[in-house]
Amino acid sequence: MPHVIRSICIVGGGTAGWLTAGIIAARHRRSEDGHGIRITLIESDTIGTIGVGEGTWPTMRTTLKKMGVSETDFFRECNTSFKQGARFARWVTGDPSDFYYHPLVLPEGFPSLDLASAWMEYAKKRQDAPSFSNAVSYQEAVCELGLAPKLITSPEYAGIANYAYHLDAGRFVSFIRDHCVKRLGVHHVVDDVTSVIRSESGDIAYVETSKSGQLDGDLFIDCSGFRSLLLGETMGVPFIDCSDVLFIDRALAVQVPYDAEDSDIVPHTVSTAQKHGWIWDIGLQSRRGVGYVFSSSHTTADAALGELQAYIGEKHRSLQPREIKIHAGHRQTFWKGNCVAVGLAGGFLEPLEASALVLIELSAEMIGGMLPATRETMHVLAKRFNETTQYRWDRIIDFLKLHYILSKREDSQFWIDNRDPASIPDSLKDQIELWRYRAPGDQDFTSNAEMFPAASYQYVLFGMGFRMDTSDREPNGHASAVQQAFARNESLKIKWTKALPNNRSLINKIKEFGLQRI
Amino acid sequence: MHLVELSREEHSQLKISPDLAEASAARQHLIPIVASEFRKAAIQYPIVFAKNPETGRFAPYVLNGLEPEENLFWSGTKLDVAYVPLNIRRRPFFVGMADTASGAKDNVLCIDIESPCLTASGKNSIVDGDGSDSPYLKEILSILRELIDGQQQTSSLINTALSLDLLCPIVLDIVLEDGKPLQVEGLYSIDEDRFRSLGKDKIEMLWNDGVMELLYSVIISTGQIFNLVRLRNEREALNRAWRDNEK
Repeated sequence: MPHVIRSICIVGGGTAGWLTAGIIAARHRRSEDGHGIRITLIESDTIGTIGVGEGTWPTMRTTLKKMGVSETDFFRECNTSFKQGARFARWVTGDPSDFYYHPLVLPEGFPSLDLASAWMEYAKKRQDAPSFSNAVSYQEAVCELGLAPKLITSPEYAGIANYAYHLDAGRFVSFIRDHCVKRLGVHHVVDDVTSVIRSESGDIAYVETSKSGQLDGDLFIDCSGFRSLLLGETMGVPFIDCSDVLFIDRALAVQVPYDAEDSDIVPHTVSTAQKHGWIWDIGLQSRRGVGYVFSSSHTTADAALGELQAYIGEKHRSLQPREIKIHAGHRQTFWKGNCVAVGLAGGFLEPLEASALVLIELSAEMIGGMLPATRETMHVLAKRFNETTQYRWDRIIDFLKLHYILSKREDSQFWIDNRDPASIPDSLKDQIELWRYRAPGDQDFTSNAEMFPAASYQYVLFGMGFRMDTSDREPNGHASAVQQAFARNESLKIKWTKALPNNRSLINKIKEFGLQRI
Repeated sequence: MHLVELSREEHSQLKISPDLAEASAARQHLIPIVASEFRKAAIQYPIVFAKNPETGRFAPYVLNGLEPEENLFWSGTKLDVAYVPLNIRRRPFFVGMADTASGAKDNVLCIDIESPCLTASGKNSIVDGDGSDSPYLKEILSILRELIDGQQQTSSLINTALSLDLLCPIVLDIVLEDGKPLQVEGLYSIDEDRFRSLGKDKIEMLWNDGVMELLYSVIISTGQIFNLVRLRNEREALNRAWRDNEK
């Protein structure tokens, strides 16, 4: 008799645990006739959650929709706001006027038209050329005006401009927990895991808890956070340190109130480079989440605090930031035996491109998509999961590092060290060499586990002043189509900067009237 | 538009020409209606649902044109229709909301003192010689009453339709006789497949709540879109003839 996977035990109830439970339960929740998978989540009420990761990717829209969550409720319950990409300030020269956008709307005509090369030729000739993102997408203009990405008449989860969210991680956990327990039949155990017991085969047999006795499962999902209780501590999977590539190892996080109840909510993440790292600034409905991530081998906590205080201003001097130690890196494998890690238990990277929540979504989606399966075939799933997840981590690391190596800042050793070739992964060096002669395209990213579209690389490369050698470029016969695409972008810019509402006023309307499902 | 509260004394001398109210709909492609109008509206217009641009909430409308600001029933002097919606006939009067002493909201009768219906040649006044309400005003009041009373039934229809997933977007993909493509978006109608697959208990509920005949009115009225296309083609043909004459 094959041992069919009928029960999943998730250890840990942060964002990773509950999102994973919700994503898998939405596909496999146990029905009354006994089909499906029984999902149990053990959550400690003594261990707190980290609660970083307030920025999402657009994938969160599909994730929540599939789970059967109402977007209106999500806005009402989670202090949610819209995120239309990120504005990177002072990353290139460090000058106060230095900024570029990584918007979520793809370049007009992408990927069939290559606007990047045409823009580059123009930008080389003209000092007054528009920024790359402004030339190829209308979203920078929308963001600069503080507008929302949709209308009150847009259905739930549908946008005019592509968008993601900023959310209050603490409230988000409660919200998803409630949905999982009440709507998706997830079995919720509030208890502390005291030990993890393995069987002779090496699998995890059960976890021992303080009050609820032994809890077993065919598959265990480790969502225990940095501790990595199951995969790291129990299964002995080592941690692969990435701090030789990404130097950030500390965060100082603080919640900054708005000046007034109706202050504008910035509709994108703002990332402002500092002397030894960078500051995130995320506008929620009722407050901003601000934090400085820096390298403790390049500066002291006191000096970093000074930079953070200078950023948030004299008025908020009394705010006490919380210090979080972070370790850039991930487990050597993510799935071993009958145990798979999701979230911080699998690894962590600085939140420069908000990769934490999306990795949880993708991992849970992949686990859910592989089921039902048997214990006998689990090593096949584990192998696939490990290959895909490793690939994703590598791509994220490359993409984050790209931001650092393109910087021209020389104001501290932090920035200079970041450009040391020894700190740059070979895969990234190879790509950069190719991109000296042609823009990033889909041919560079051929895996179906791809994280960032080629467009994202274009936005960062050309936003940061990377120069392509286009002298040998043969005319491709698309010249008129390219010009039409630029013109189309200009008319979209005019149209949507007029029609889209102010970000806060739309959020207020959503809370008052709700969005329709259709 | 400038709305003020109607005063029988202050506004007693106003001369009103209700015929001109129709002109105000000359560039309106969607006119809101209430549930009690569905049967009458269905003989002339497609009844559609659309979202209020301010609140995103659904309301029923009669469709008068195939793109914004187009009213194919406007002849140049009047609406050439068998049924004029209450929301046109009430003009230049409006129902406003005012705060009462107790803090509750109350309906207030208002008039648009900038309306083109207010004209010296108008044959109607709001009061008779003895100061009592004129038959004209009485009719307006009964129209406004029907609109207010109809709101309840209308929003209950919308809620029922939404809770049963009966609304679905319709995209009109039209090719006119001269080959010009036309897309009308933002309109919703009844999902007939979904409607027909409702269980007996739901059907009985719709009967008892008086919603069934409203849903059928909407479904039957959808065919009126062909009439709009016909009118549009006629209009285009006229325009072409006009342009050819000028050459």
